[in-house]
Amino acid sequence: MIRSWKFWLVLAGIAVVVGLFAYGFTVDPKLVQSPLIGKPAPDFTVTRLGGGETLHLAELRGTPVILNFWASWCVACRDEAALLEKAHRRYGLESGDVRVIGIAIQDRPEAARAFAERYGKTYFLALDGEAGDIALNYGLYGVPETFFIDRDGVIHHKQVGPVTWEGLVTQVNAMAGQQQAKR
Amino acid sequence: MTNHIGYICLTAALAVSLYGVVAPHLGVTRNNWNLVRSAQFATILNLGFVFAASVALMRAFLTDDFSVSFVFQNSSVDLPVMYKIAAFWGGMDGSLLFWELVLALLSAVVAYRYQRSNREVIPYVIVTLSIIHVFLLGLLVTYSNPLATQYPIPDNGRGLNPLLQHPAMAAHPPMLYLGYIAFSIPFAFAMGSLLRGKLDNEWVVTTRRWTLFAWFFLTVGQMLGGQWAYEELGWGGYWAWDPVENAAFMPWLTGTAFLHSVMLQEKRNMMKVWNMTLIIVTFGLSILGTFIVRSGVLNSVHAFAQSEIGPAFLIFIAIVLVLAFTLMFRRIKLLESRHTADTLLSKESTFLLNNLLFIGIAFTVFLGTVFPLVAEAVRGTKLSVQAPFFNTIIAPLGIGLLGLVGVCTLIAWRHSSASYLIRNFRWPVAAAAVVLAAAALLGVRHGGALTVFAVGSFTAAVLFMDFGRAVAVRHRQGGGSWPSSAFQTVMRNQQRYGGMVIHLGVVFVFFGLSGNYFRSEHNLTLLPGKPVEVAGYQLLYKGMKVYPEGNATLHAAELELYRDGEFLDTLHPARSFYPTTPEPLTEVAIRRTLAHDFYIALASENEDGSATLRILVNPLVIWAWFGFPLFTAGIALAMLYKPRTLGAPAVEKRLGLAGS
Repeated sequence: MIRSWKFWLVLAGIAVVVGLFAYGFTVDPKLVQSPLIGKPAPDFTVTRLGGGETLHLAELRGTPVILNFWASWCVACRDEAALLEKAHRRYGLESGDVRVIGIAIQDRPEAARAFAERYGKTYFLALDGEAGDIALNYGLYGVPETFFIDRDGVIHHKQVGPVTWEGLVTQVNAMAGQQQAKR
Repeated sequence: MTNHIGYICLTAALAVSLYGVVAPHLGVTRNNWNLVRSAQFATILNLGFVFAASVALMRAFLTDDFSVSFVFQNSSVDLPVMYKIAAFWGGMDGSLLFWELVLALLSAVVAYRYQRSNREVIPYVIVTLSIIHVFLLGLLVTYSNPLATQYPIPDNGRGLNPLLQHPAMAAHPPMLYLGYIAFSIPFAFAMGSLLRGKLDNEWVVTTRRWTLFAWFFLTVGQMLGGQWAYEELGWGGYWAWDPVENAAFMPWLTGTAFLHSVMLQEKRNMMKVWNMTLIIVTFGLSILGTFIVRSGVLNSVHAFAQSEIGPAFLIFIAIVLVLAFTLMFRRIKLLESRHTADTLLSKESTFLLNNLLFIGIAFTVFLGTVFPLVAEAVRGTKLSVQAPFFNTIIAPLGIGLLGLVGVCTLIAWRHSSASYLIRNFRWPVAAAAVVLAAAALLGVRHGGALTVFAVGSFTAAVLFMDFGRAVAVRHRQGGGSWPSSAFQTVMRNQQRYGGMVIHLGVVFVFFGLSGNYFRSEHNLTLLPGKPVEVAGYQLLYKGMKVYPEGNATLHAAELELYRDGEFLDTLHPARSFYPTTPEPLTEVAIRRTLAHDFYIALASENEDGSATLRILVNPLVIWAWFGFPLFTAGIALAMLYKPRTLGAPAVEKRLGLAGS
């Protein structure tokens, strides 16, 4: 048996470090909480990809918004493309409860359009400005990231990485429920 | 077929390594040296098997054999040959095999080289190395077999991550690996000495050059990594305190501390427990580095290399550390040394301070790296530790180390007097004052930069003065010409002057780093044909060019750079599109001068024909790269020095230190 207290101190140190890393496996390092949650969503005006219609975020007050940041070069965005389209059809077209918006960042218009066609996206798509102002205002780490903005224009939740169907439904219901509670 | 043979070779290597764990110990307890010899042979055989498996994987890459799923995931038909080779270590499984290959090579060198010397500890050195082999090969034949095949066979692979398609990327991981892995050798000798209970200075003297070797490759590996980040990531810096950079930096710090503190053991028989601790920690951090890179436990730019074998690494680290420290404390009586630093004003105490600073920096880096995990475990909050934390603490400690190089060079072993120091430091301090005044006159206003200039020129002056004096003495006594006196001085004490050249390189690196204090950044959108003034240059955008390069298509902005109306250069910052990945990559254009790098990244090409550029003026960067040839020359010189393979008492007697 080793009597030295230093030895036990070293062992304790090893245990703490190893324990910490073992704990690290159980959590996702990418889920840094956005400081924007609970704050008003930064406003923007964009023109629909392919021209025509413009959209001013502030005018959507009263309708919850799913704001998805994507890019044609982003691999994970392909995985979630169908889900966002499904959410748009279910909650946007059918019941009109939610508006789905996709903002492409660091993208070329033709590539973004090709991507939208390939994945059959029909919801409102637009390009971020040249300087990436919208991405900067929302403190984007990368794509995809999705913001859930409630009826009052306040950011309710932020999803880093591709969305899941369950996640979308949960957030849409949460935004609706929150509204009912207020009434 | 070859792939299956390769896999069989890996299993055979595992069997041979298991033999290497058991046989040497049996040989020692049964006093049968043939068993030990057989284990040495097994170590060399292991290299043969691992090499054969590596050849099989390399063959699969070079012949586009996509039946191997690792090749499918990391290569493609159109990939340039150089990157097909580099793809070997571009992913998890292959890099693990590469690690095993390098360790097998170094182990075989050890087994071959020390057949007659170090007879007492070598059996246990083989045992230690074999345990590491068993761990790596165990992973290779189970969880991460790089030769695993798939069916049906795809026509083309997914391609190598374009970020990794950079010349520095072909060299940076192997260099880092060599560095990490080479620290296994001093570690194995340390463990061998502990297991055998032979705790004189033999292991330190034997592994001196191995340590230098490891240090060199770890240093070069990190510089190349910085080079890659600088040219490929497009944000204009070479170091971001990313967890993976930190993971490579920590063993470098403790390894550098070890490199210095073993000199105290070699020369003064001090710090035996400390050196043992440092080598254990350095080895542990080397594995931790791989663990952090590969496990994805911390968020990082290196996330492309994640895999599921993190837990296995973590368990291995825990076992290694617990066993190593248990052993050390069991033998602690044999390690306690009789000497301490005699006075504050001595070379010994500058070495202690050196170690304190290195460990302080390592601890800061460690804390900053794991703090996000701590915060989450304790408070449940997600956060990330950013560069300002590291810079604030580490910059002053680093500058302290830079100054310490100068002080340590001039101060004497055992005892120095204050008057001696004042006499010796007069000229270097004067040199520092002159440089400080000159820099201030030239318009450098930043306190941090001025401090680096002053401290750096002090240290450089000390180094030149010290060398000049030694040459002058030899010239007076030997009567040879000045160049031959200089040559003789260096050759008489290769270790000392190798160290001096490296330290001069350190001064250069610091000088280069100090440019960070006054860099500037400009974001511009340029229309074709309209010149723009930026940071004293005139920039003319000619238009966008699209052309193929390798397997990529480049969209490059053609820019003409002028200064005071005089044409300097045409630069082509670009975005490159790879067929297998839709994500465009930034290809920066850099004009390097001694004063600064003019660094342009193409942010976007716009529909109206304009181009948006991110321009950085990075002062003095090039000076940091000048450290590189000096490190190489210094290490080469220091490696020429043959440490005496004598026990400590004999060394002490020779140095006239016995009984002191």
